[in-house]
Amino acid sequence: MITTPQITGYLSEHYAADANHTLAGYERAGGFKAVKKALKMKPADVADLVKESGLRGRGGAGFVAGLKWTFMPEKSDRMKVLVCNADESEPGSFKDRLIMERGPFAILEGILIAAWATGAEKTFIYVRGEYALPIERLRAAVDEMRAQGYLGTKLFGKKGFDHEIVVHSGAGAYICGEETGLLESLEGKKGQPRKKPPFPAQYGAFGLPTTVNNVETFAHVPYIVDRGVEWFRGFGTERSPGTTLFGVSGHVERPGLFELPLGTPLRELIEHAGGCRGGRAIKAVIPGGVSMPVLPPSDLDVGMADELLTERGTHLGTGGIMVMDETTCMVRAACVISYFFRDESCGQCTQCREGTGWINKICRRIEAGRGSDDDLALLDSVPAMMEGGTICAFADAAAWPIQGLMRHFRADFEAHVREQKCPFPESFEL
Amino acid sequence: MPRVKIDGTEYEVEDGRTILQALDDLGLLMNGVDVPHYCWHPKLPVDGSCRLCQVEVDDIPKLQIACNTPIRDGMEVRTQSDRVADARRGVMELLLVNHPLDCPICDQAGECKLQDYAFDYGVKHARTRDPRRPAQKAVELGPEIVFDQERCILCRRCVRFCRDVTGTAELGVFQRGDESLLETFPGKPLDNAYSMNVADICPVGALTTRDFRFKIRVWFLDDVDSVCNQCSNGCNISAGRAHNNVYRFTPRRNDDVNDTWMCDAGRLSYPALREGRLETAQLRGRSVAFNEAVAAAGAALRETREAGGRIVGIGSPFAPNEDLFTLRELLGAVGAGPGLFSVPLGAGDDILIKPEKAPNAAGARALGFVESGDVGDAALAIVLGHAAAGDALSSVENVILIDTHDSALASRAMVALPARTFAERAGTFTNHAKRVQRFLPFLEPRFEAWAEGDILTRLAASAGLDTDAWDVNAVSKRLSQEVPAFEGIDLDSVGDRGLELR
Amino acid sequence: MQPETRQKIEALFEQYPEKRGALLPAIYLVQAEQGWVSAEQAEALAELFDLKPIDVWEVLTFYNMFYTSPQGRHHVYVCTNLPCSLRGARGLLKQIEAHLGIRAGQTTEDGRVTLGHEECLGSCGTAPVLRVDGRYCENVDAQEARRLVDALE
Repeated sequence: MITTPQITGYLSEHYAADANHTLAGYERAGGFKAVKKALKMKPADVADLVKESGLRGRGGAGFVAGLKWTFMPEKSDRMKVLVCNADESEPGSFKDRLIMERGPFAILEGILIAAWATGAEKTFIYVRGEYALPIERLRAAVDEMRAQGYLGTKLFGKKGFDHEIVVHSGAGAYICGEETGLLESLEGKKGQPRKKPPFPAQYGAFGLPTTVNNVETFAHVPYIVDRGVEWFRGFGTERSPGTTLFGVSGHVERPGLFELPLGTPLRELIEHAGGCRGGRAIKAVIPGGVSMPVLPPSDLDVGMADELLTERGTHLGTGGIMVMDETTCMVRAACVISYFFRDESCGQCTQCREGTGWINKICRRIEAGRGSDDDLALLDSVPAMMEGGTICAFADAAAWPIQGLMRHFRADFEAHVREQKCPFPESFEL
Repeated sequence: MPRVKIDGTEYEVEDGRTILQALDDLGLLMNGVDVPHYCWHPKLPVDGSCRLCQVEVDDIPKLQIACNTPIRDGMEVRTQSDRVADARRGVMELLLVNHPLDCPICDQAGECKLQDYAFDYGVKHARTRDPRRPAQKAVELGPEIVFDQERCILCRRCVRFCRDVTGTAELGVFQRGDESLLETFPGKPLDNAYSMNVADICPVGALTTRDFRFKIRVWFLDDVDSVCNQCSNGCNISAGRAHNNVYRFTPRRNDDVNDTWMCDAGRLSYPALREGRLETAQLRGRSVAFNEAVAAAGAALRETREAGGRIVGIGSPFAPNEDLFTLRELLGAVGAGPGLFSVPLGAGDDILIKPEKAPNAAGARALGFVESGDVGDAALAIVLGHAAAGDALSSVENVILIDTHDSALASRAMVALPARTFAERAGTFTNHAKRVQRFLPFLEPRFEAWAEGDILTRLAASAGLDTDAWDVNAVSKRLSQEVPAFEGIDLDSVGDRGLELR
Repeated sequence: MQPETRQKIEALFEQYPEKRGALLPAIYLVQAEQGWVSAEQAEALAELFDLKPIDVWEVLTFYNMFYTSPQGRHHVYVCTNLPCSLRGARGLLKQIEAHLGIRAGQTTEDGRVTLGHEECLGSCGTAPVLRVDGRYCENVDAQEARRLVDALE
């Protein structure tokens, strides 16, 4: 079982007791107050409130959640559906797992509130297949809610408010974290993202109007409804309010999760994690999961909010921070990252299918001491050829980290080519 | 109807069309407006994955794929900008990362879209020095199709064909990423009545037909417009010919008839154009000179007529409209009743294959031929093709058979005269939907043979009837003037798409 | 496909607006019978779901957690993505390979263990992580890994 956060906030304050995953425990901590409050409001007002709170999706793209809810057709003769994206697979990201294991009811309550706001009658929680314990706890939570009458029809005494939740297990494919790849997979198909249009709000799961939100996004919703927009905006930045569960991993003394406001300086987060291991110097930090471009140590002062990271040429992504110390060979890092994208590309689009494999081959060749100046030129140009021209953003996600590494750590690549070997004897093993 | 500006020229297009569909409708796609594409095919659902057809649309920052972008009124599309060229170059280079450079030994060379587009839009020098993805060579996917897996660019046209056209779904893409491979379900071959179409739509040399593979380089072939004669659908085809031989039939697009498809049986019917032919004229089972046989037949016809014997004509649903019309004229001149005919039947489906296994049954009907084999007490029968004649003919003393192929009837007939197949002359067939379609000659006969109508005319002349030399164009004109259903429909006016009977 | 498996699958249909939604859960149920899914089982699934066998096979081969060939009695996976690699996962994998005498992707001759490496398992804060028969084992070192592997029967 995952360790509890080293710093807690409103989301995670009860996680340590490990009693929050039972309905009784959650209600003791004030659970299901928010949904009852929301049911006294008009659905559109609930969506407005969440929109005004500025809550951004916590799945990587950072879209304003309340705004996304309003894309759902108000009137529909077909059932409307919510999907909770619990396919957390971004390397460096492990927060959703914790929320599902320790605080599943906040997600479920958030779902009910979103269901009221959007008129959705059914929610599918798509959990990555490897997450056995989160699936177990979510299913148990859903069963408890059903037994308590919190799922089914006429919920909390509200006539016409019916909802059902299905916990659905994925089967091992990163691409199912992509919104429409997830929908395909949920429909029992290969998880290959759909071309847009149509968009999910019109044609989503099983062709029904659908809104997809991330686990953590749903989990914030009850707190926002219960405590108000102003309270929520008391955390974080103007553009990125609230806290998030930052994951810090890699070469730090105490890796783990830290619930802190968005905008918290990167350096501070690393210090919370005990700083770089063994008193070594930091060489590089990936701030938001492997899809996001790497930062050099000179950027550690950056605040961990997307609008601030964008100024440094990277993004918040899922807030998964990976620290690499001075021994690290960045070409090896490129090998690991590019292998991941090669392995996980769904294979539909030419640039992604062929580009991910090609980049990985080039990186491996350079790492093995057989690279040439031509290979460096390829690492400059192939990612650009992949970017911006595919069905989904996976190809971008595969291109960006390589571009980041070439931008800040080109010298590592050049040294491999020059010396025809890896010049970092103490680096992590490949 | 929305108006769209493409590369500065304004067009009016139908509602709800994508950019590629509109260009295709306008006849401009790769024929004035170059938007190269692999996965898109006019007759298959949009896939949108090859990413080659990206174009600039209005001021949208990202390039859009022309195959999945619906046209809106006032839209402006740019297909030839530098950004578009860059994107195409990128996609082309990436497609070649795992594609072997084996054009000299690849059967697709000359009609390979990868080769063509790499030349037109690609980089001039390969920058990859990595080994290609390991894959299998010459896999037999089914009875007709051979698969060179390493050449596959995963456009999935064949997958969609088998799902959406035949509904048989034999092909799929297994695994994912750059390990994706086109395959069949374990132990289930690609085996359906239309399987060979996947070789046509494969833009590269991955899927080839066992029949045509390595027979001849395609640049030695010239294609002649023709019509398949295996059933009453009348699929439009191209006959690939060289040195007075035909090497393959391929479907020729006709959206009103066969889209871009044809069945395997039709495709594989070409060898019969040369096999089992009636090669010499026969007089009571003995080979004689053509003119001698015509003279004997003419004499028999004259004598029967003079003796007041009943004459019957048996048409053939394999004979073209023009020749049936000539037979009709001859029967009229000798005072015979309407011609008879019968159609061989077989299985049909709801794709292309029709139960009537002949190309011109509707033409025979339109020309007044009666579906009957009852020859009654006829003393003389003029028969076009043995297939149309039944046992009933055994009671007829004088059978004048005009036929493309040899048969028991040919040796039994009083006279048998070798006719040209549809491959050896021009003419028209009327398909099941009453569409009159033209075929052109693509083979020269290797022995003395003439069109059925031509032979009938010689026979008439020999019998002392007043005739002009037979000419298919002249007959076609006369047919269009004399038979109301054919009004305005002749060899010229039908064009290469055909015209419906009135 | 065993009758109980079929019943369990049919019970899932009502959860989804279209039956096909139950395909992934159904494959898990079928896979539980013998640890992998055969072509015959895939055909039976296709029939049950009104699909073509190829639809099922495409899905089976797309996802990492489905197997179309016989597997060891136990699965040991080592996460080798960056956060785990930074904390020695690849060295750990090599030691397990040496200990079992097989490479990642192979099964021991006695059919006891199939060893593999996996992409990120979402346990970066407790790296390196192993997934042993579906159970997460976190903060694993070489000694612990050997103990875990040896405990498998």
